[in-house]
Amino acid sequence: MKESDEAQRLERTRRRAQLMEQLQQGDSGACSALLDDIGPSLTYFLRRRVADPHELEDVYQEVFMAIFEARHTYEPGRPFEPWLFAIARNIAADYTRRRWSRAHWEELVAELPERPADSSNTAPPELDEILAKLPSDQRQAFSLLKLDGLSVEAAAARAGVSVGALKVRAHRAYQALKRLIGE
Amino acid sequence: MPEVSERTHEDHHRELVSRLAREIKPARRLRSVGVRLALWMLLEVGVLAWVVTHTDNDFLPKLKQGPAYAIEIVFFVGAAMISAILALRSAIPGRPLRAAETILGVTLVLAGIVLITVSAPIRTNYQLQEFLHLGLRCARETVVLAATPWLLLWWLVSRGFPTRGRLSGSLIGAGAMFFSFALMRIACPIDEPLHLLTWHLLPAFALIALSTWAGAAWLRFRRRAPRPEPAG
Repeated sequence: MKESDEAQRLERTRRRAQLMEQLQQGDSGACSALLDDIGPSLTYFLRRRVADPHELEDVYQEVFMAIFEARHTYEPGRPFEPWLFAIARNIAADYTRRRWSRAHWEELVAELPERPADSSNTAPPELDEILAKLPSDQRQAFSLLKLDGLSVEAAAARAGVSVGALKVRAHRAYQALKRLIGE
Repeated sequence: MPEVSERTHEDHHRELVSRLAREIKPARRLRSVGVRLALWMLLEVGVLAWVVTHTDNDFLPKLKQGPAYAIEIVFFVGAAMISAILALRSAIPGRPLRAAETILGVTLVLAGIVLITVSAPIRTNYQLQEFLHLGLRCARETVVLAATPWLLLWWLVSRGFPTRGRLSGSLIGAGAMFFSFALMRIACPIDEPLHLLTWHLLPAFALIALSTWAGAAWLRFRRRAPRPEPAG
């Protein structure tokens, strides 16, 4: 049983390598056949790394594009799978990095306060004192996001700066507050 | 019933495959690592020939005097060649760097540094003016001798599909700079360790760091192909 599995695996590897060589020569039939053949393995590989189904489609597409662009680097005679999965692994790692950095930003700036801000309530005096120590642009960014409960876009429009600039100000404000509270 | 049905993974796959199959063209295969390395070595040999014919350093008696000087040069050339091979290979997906090669390259550099420090006494009575004057010229020459080989190696690597730009950048830098260091051992008449470590090796390491940064910024593969057209 194991021997027949191994024989099948070897046959599949040989066939894929052959199709890849034809793909390099511009054979569109071989291109379709190879991409159809690797599709399920690639989907399985990526599902273990990308949880969101919509994002999975994006990453899947990115891997296919990368295979297409890197096709000149495949060396005939060498096994195809290490080449393929090195590309897929790299794209998936890229996705994880991007996702982590996006989540980090969202955590920092897009979190709304648990209770809507009430204009009649002022911040506790301790916070007032700490906020007073911040530069005015950082204080404004923090107040708009955390005390007034505005979205990043609305806060940026109110402050008259780009969304990116507001995020940077808010991030600096959080860093400074962390430092000041820790003192 | 919703008006627009969600596209399944299969639909997405079909659309992608038919688009790529439509766009496929013959691709010129990347030359093997050996061929690309030979091209780079050819340039380095040319630079070596230029250095040998233009240097004031009488290096032939030094070569005959003892093996340390020759071994030191061979070690750095070896480290440069290993770095270049690994750089070229880093542009091919699925060709991982082998630990043994990396260890060998690092060992050659460390052994070379040890040889430099033990082969001559360290001079500590330099006049600052003299130390700087001699040193800056050597640092500049180290960079100049590495420039063209660095550019060629960068180009050869970028012809492939480098997925780890930082790594490729550092290996390209190491290849060019260690060879340049070896060339400068022939070009420069000074064998004093403090001079060699400060004005030959330190600029080499600084430029390897710069090359690492450049690799991270520019060498890494980025998707250039447009996304498939929306269905319909």
